[in-house]
Amino acid sequence: MPDDQSFDLAGCLGRVRRRDQTAARELVEHLHPLVIRIVRAHLPRRVAEEDLAQEVFMKMFTRIDQYQGAVPFTHWVSRIAVTTCIDHLRAQKRRPELRWADLSEGEADVLDSVITNERDVAPDEAASAKELVNKLMDQLKPEDRIVIQYLDLEQRSIAEISQLTGWNPTLVKVRAFRARRKLQRFYRELIEKERV
Amino acid sequence: MNKNEQSLQRLLAAARKAQPAPADESAPYGFSTRVAALAFAQGGRPSAFARLSLRAALVAGALAVAAVAINFSAIKSAFESDNAAATDDPIAEVVNLGT
Repeated sequence: MPDDQSFDLAGCLGRVRRRDQTAARELVEHLHPLVIRIVRAHLPRRVAEEDLAQEVFMKMFTRIDQYQGAVPFTHWVSRIAVTTCIDHLRAQKRRPELRWADLSEGEADVLDSVITNERDVAPDEAASAKELVNKLMDQLKPEDRIVIQYLDLEQRSIAEISQLTGWNPTLVKVRAFRARRKLQRFYRELIEKERV
Repeated sequence: MNKNEQSLQRLLAAARKAQPAPADESAPYGFSTRVAALAFAQGGRPSAFARLSLRAALVAGALAVAAVAINFSAIKSAFESDNAAATDDPIAEVVNLGT
């Protein structure tokens, strides 16, 4: 999260509302790390991260007069970023069923390791494991994908996810339950398919 | 937890160990200037031309309604005479006789 203590966010917002372009630039620079982290975590295929970040900021400026201060400004911006990513993930076609043939050599080795459990996944195979999980998550709906990313990969709490997404904690739990079940199904289908 | 669930958990644990590629999180050069300029260009008050166009559309609409109201009787009688002409049409009568 951006360091709000050293940055006069309230003052900057006031100046932005009075259409001060310098304040708008400062606000973008201050919030860029927060926005780009969310965008990178949920970046759809074939979308440039800079374009998506720009879209998030444009939405932020368009709606800035609607911000009432009920939640911290960074949470409000996070929700815009997550919603924008969901819209883009919806627009891209979901990956069809995943097969062994779609896996790289590294991903297939990782899958072998976790299925047989004969050896631990080596640290240098972590990137392949992440790629494999991403391919599995590409089969999920955007909301399910985001909840798995936050809960199981980034290990965030339900409260944190609720703050970031604007979904109430019960909805996060329900989505997490369904998303995990679907991910489990896609994983089972992958490993039960005949290896080519 | 069955075998598949356990192996998926091992896969997720391995994926968590992946270090994100070190990437700069600060805004690229010129990004904030571009975004701020675009935001104010789009979110500003409507331009003088846009305001004038809206007023012109409203005036044109009002004039159209007034023109119809003033000429209502003439329009109505024109429709009635059209209907009368249609009934006097000899071809229409022949067609009607045939059916």
